Amino acid sequence: MAAAGAQGARSGGGGGSSGAGGGTSCGTGSSRSGLLDKWKIDDKPVKIDKWDGSAVKNSLDDSAKKVLLEKYKYVENFGLIDGRLTICTISCFFAIVALIWDYMHPFPESKPVLALCVISYFVMMGILTIYTSYKEKSIFLVAHRKDPTGMDPDDIWQLSSSLKRFDDKYTLKLTFISGRTKQQREAEFTKSIAKFFDHSGTLVMDAYEPEISKLHDSLATERKIK
Amino acid sequence: MLSLDFLDDVRRMNKRQLYYQVLNFGMIVSSALMIWKGLMVITGSESPIVVVLSGSMEPAFHRGDLLFLTNRVEDPIRVGEIVVFRIEGREIPIVHRVLKIHEKQNGHIKFLTKGDNNAVDDRGLYKQGQHWLEKKDVVGRARGFYQENRSVEDRNYLFLILEL
Repeated sequence: MAAAGAQGARSGGGGGSSGAGGGTSCGTGSSRSGLLDKWKIDDKPVKIDKWDGSAVKNSLDDSAKKVLLEKYKYVENFGLIDGRLTICTISCFFAIVALIWDYMHPFPESKPVLALCVISYFVMMGILTIYTSYKEKSIFLVAHRKDPTGMDPDDIWQLSSSLKRFDDKYTLKLTFISGRTKQQREAEFTKSIAKFFDHSGTLVMDAYEPEISKLHDSLATERKIK
Repeated sequence: MLSLDFLDDVRRMNKRQLYYQVLNFGMIVSSALMIWKGLMVITGSESPIVVVLSGSMEPAFHRGDLLFLTNRVEDPIRVGEIVVFRIEGREIPIVHRVLKIHEKQNGHIKFLTKGDNNAVDDRGLYKQGQHWLEKKDVVGRARGFYQENRSVEDRNYLFLILEL
């Protein structure tokens, strides 16, 4: 019933949000080629297969990211993601080296190089597993709020989420790390994904965005009180 | 612009996510490749798993069976063992049993092979003028085999014997 109500409001709200989205992309579109503009569909409502758990989680994560980056104008920090990409790239590099070396020097001569590459590859796999389990956890966004005075270090906002397999409860956790005091505060909510998607699998931003803003403001206002 | 809805997921990704998808695929391929190369290093054979292509070793091996090979330098080849060898100039390896061996003091050997199900030895298969095989022609010695179920009674019955 909540989804049906949201669907009625969506046609009005959807037009409004796509207008705002069109506004932001129009501003940057002038600097990109026309083809790239047509490729990007940032302002099109997100429609996914509602039974596909990973697609649901990805779309919710991406939309939460969009809210934080566009509404509050934070700057995304790619450090965590870049770390994972470099580890994967190095692993693939070892594999390619092994492949080419074995092709150029047929098997018995290439044994030591092959052994080295294989061991390095599996070591990198181990490093990758440790990295994703302990350093990255389930954080998908690290955003910085630049201090307007430019004096103090940035405040850091981290978003992490979880959605269990075949479950409908989505947990979104927002962590705030103050730049000055290095204190960490977090807030989270757990809601059923049925609250944010309509029957056809379209994400209803009008239902989702207030949740994010609520989380954000609960952490931001605490800071002011202190 | 064509409306390709199924590409929506891809269009929504930024450069990093696209690169990560490409890397993901690369890692799957690399993992398979590394496992194969790792097997090559461990067994010492350039083709650690081979498929039996002909019926020349029946009733021991049938067409379609998988063989696990090792090619360690320390293991000598003895009569009665099953070896997989490649004849010079031919690409496809052959799986037959060792019949006769001549061995020198320094360990250099020449051997003759024959398929269990063949009437004659393999001299007809060897290169013109070649009467014996040498260690360098060997791809590996069979250490274990995997046979799919052959008869109706043996449904889902797998044999896997690994002598280490």
